[in-house]
Amino acid sequence: MNLPPAVWFLLARLGGVVLLGALVGALLGSLIGGIALALAAALGWQLMNLFWLDGWLRDRANRSPPDVSGVWGDVVSQVVRLHRRKRFHKQRLLELFRELRRSTAAMPDGVIILNAQWEIVWFNRTAGRLLGLRRRVDDGMALTNLIREPSLARYLQQGEFAEPHVLARGEPRVHLSFQVVPYGREQRLMLVRDVSRQVALESMRKDFVANASHELRSPLTVVTGYVETLLQDDALDPALRAPLTEMQRQTQRMNGIVSDLLDLSRLDANEREVQGEPIDVVALCAVLRKDILARASHPEVQLDMASDAKLLGDPAEVLSAFSNLADNAAKYTPHTGRVRLRWSIDADGSARFEVEDTGPGIAPEHLPRLTERFYRVDEGRSRDAGGSGLGLAIVKHVLQHHGAALDVQSTPGVGSRFSCVFPSRRVIGGARGENLPPAIRTA
Amino acid sequence: METSDLSQHISRRFNEDMEHVRTRVLAMGGLVEELLAKALNSLIEGDSSLGESVARDDLAVNGMEVAIDEECSRILATRAPAAGDLRLIVAIIKTITDLERIGDEGEKIGNISARLAAMERPENRYREIKHMGRIVAEMVHDALDAFARLDSQQAVRVARRDRMVDEEYEAIQRQCITFMMEDPRSIRRALDVMWIVRSLERVGDHAKNICEYVIYMVHGKDVRHTKLEDVERDLQEAASRPL
Repeated sequence: MNLPPAVWFLLARLGGVVLLGALVGALLGSLIGGIALALAAALGWQLMNLFWLDGWLRDRANRSPPDVSGVWGDVVSQVVRLHRRKRFHKQRLLELFRELRRSTAAMPDGVIILNAQWEIVWFNRTAGRLLGLRRRVDDGMALTNLIREPSLARYLQQGEFAEPHVLARGEPRVHLSFQVVPYGREQRLMLVRDVSRQVALESMRKDFVANASHELRSPLTVVTGYVETLLQDDALDPALRAPLTEMQRQTQRMNGIVSDLLDLSRLDANEREVQGEPIDVVALCAVLRKDILARASHPEVQLDMASDAKLLGDPAEVLSAFSNLADNAAKYTPHTGRVRLRWSIDADGSARFEVEDTGPGIAPEHLPRLTERFYRVDEGRSRDAGGSGLGLAIVKHVLQHHGAALDVQSTPGVGSRFSCVFPSRRVIGGARGENLPPAIRTA
Repeated sequence: METSDLSQHISRRFNEDMEHVRTRVLAMGGLVEELLAKALNSLIEGDSSLGESVARDDLAVNGMEVAIDEECSRILATRAPAAGDLRLIVAIIKTITDLERIGDEGEKIGNISARLAAMERPENRYREIKHMGRIVAEMVHDALDAFARLDSQQAVRVARRDRMVDEEYEAIQRQCITFMMEDPRSIRRALDVMWIVRSLERVGDHAKNICEYVIYMVHGKDVRHTKLEDVERDLQEAASRPL
C-alpha cells in the first residue's frame, strides 16, 4: 500500500493508543472498557482538530493556521498553498484589469459602456467631464435620461451607427460627436469626442467659400458687360472678334461656376431636412425635355412617367438637381443617342426619378468619387463641355436635404443611369403605372 | 427612495412600467429643453422661421403630456402603487404639467421673437435677455437632472437659483421702463421684450416647482409654500438622522 507517511504515522499512533488503552484496561480489570475509552479519546482528539480547522477556514483572514500534527497538518498546509496560489493569480488578473481600466480612463476620448437597454455600465473620466456624468450615482441610469437631446434619442433608436452623431450642448457651446460601436452580446461602446474645433473650422471653410464666390461675382459682371458691349460694336477690329468671343464664352463659364458655388454654399449652410411643398414631377420632366430639345444638337428624349405621384420637396432645389442630371445626360450623349427620363413608385412606396442615357458611360473606379466637388472623369472633354464640375455635388446635397439617395449605374460604352430614390414619406398620391392614361405614359 | 428601489418589485412588468414612464418624462423634458433653446436662439439671432417652428414642437410636447398622463392613470388603476412608487407617479403627473407650461411659455417667446425679428434689433442684441435665458435654461436642465438622479440636494440648489431669475426680471423691467421714457418709439419693442422676460420668469418658477416635486418624491415631504432655508435645514437634519 502506497500511503503518505503522515497516514502511517497516524495509524501507528492509533495502534499505540489502542495498545496503551488495552494495557491500562488490563491493569484495571476491564480490557474492552480500556480499549473503548482509548478509542473515544482518539476520536475526541480528531474531532477537536476538525473543529479547529473549520474555525480557521471560516476566519482565515484574521487567524494564523492552527498548529496541528498528522493528517490535519497536511490538510492545513495544502489549503494554505492553494490559497496562496489563488491569491497570486487573482492579484495578477486584478492588476491587468486595473491597468486596462487606467488606460481607458486616461484616454483623451470619452468612453461609455452601455447595455442593451442603453443603460450606463461604466464610463471613463473624459466622458464624465464632457457629459457631466457622476460616478456611482449614474451607473445603471438610461443614457437618454441624462443626455436628453431628442436628436440623440432618435439616433440611438434608428440603430444605424456608421456615422457619428454631432450634438451642440451647454453654455459655452461645445460640439460633441457620439459614435456607437456594438460589441459582444448586446453591449455597446460609445465614444464621445469634443469636435468643437473641427466644427468651427468647417463653418469657417463654408463661410470662406460663400464670401469668396460672392466677392468674385461683381468684378465678373463688369467684365461680362464690357465684353458684350465690345462684341456688339460694329467698328470692332475683325482680328479681335475671335478672342473676344472666346472671352465671352469663358466669362459665361466662370459665371456658371460662381453661381453653382453660391448654390452649394447655400445648400451647405442649411442641413435641416426641408419640409417643402408638393411638386408635380410629371410637369417638371416635360420642362426638362423641352430644355434638352432646345439645345443646338440634342439626342432623342423619351419620357416614361409610370406614376403621376407628387413629390414633397423644395421646388427650386429639386428643379436644380433634376435639371443638372438631365443636362449631364444631354451633354454626354451623342445626337444619335437617346436620353430617357423616368418617374416611378417602387414596391415599398419610395419614389424613383431616373435619367438614363446611351452616352460613353463611366468607368467603375470613378463612380465613388463622382459627387466630389470639381472631380472630373475625363479632364479634356468635360472642359470642352463647359461644366462647372459642381453639378453632381449639388445633386447630392439636394437629395440629402430630402432624405433621398443617389444611385449611379454605368457601363462604359453602353450608357449610364442616375437614380434618385426618395423615401415614401415624401410621396403624395399617384396611381401605379398601369392605371395611368396612355397619354401620360408616353408624354 | 433610491433608484435601486425601482428594481425590487416582485412583478418585473411593474418595474418596467415605472422605468418606462420615468424615461418618457425625461424625453419630454429633453424636448422642452430643446424648444426653449430654439425660442431663445430665434430671439437672439433674429431668425423668424426658427421662432415659428417652436409652435410645432409645442404640439409634440402637448401630445406627450397627454400620453404620459394616460400611462400614469393606467398604472394607478392596475397596479395600485404604494409609498415611494405612489409618490413617483404623483410627482410625474405634476412634473409633466409644469413641463407643458414651460413648453407654452417657450412657444410664446418663439412667437414674439418671430415678430421682433422683423424689427430693428437693439444695439446690445438682447444681451441681458440672453443672460437671463441662460440661467433659466440651466435651471430647467439641472432640475431635470435632479429628477433623473432623484437628487434632492441638487433640487434644493436649483430651486434657490429662482431668486436670481427674479432679480434679473426686476432689473430688465426697470431697464425697459427707462427705455420707454427716453424714447416713446421703443415702447412697442420694450413691451414685447417685457412679455418675453415675463415668460422666462415663469419658466424659472416651473423649474422650481419640478425641484419641489423631486424633494417630495425622495423624502415624502411637501415643500411647496415653504421657505427654502427651512427646507434645507429639514433635509440636513433628515440626512444626519439614521434611517
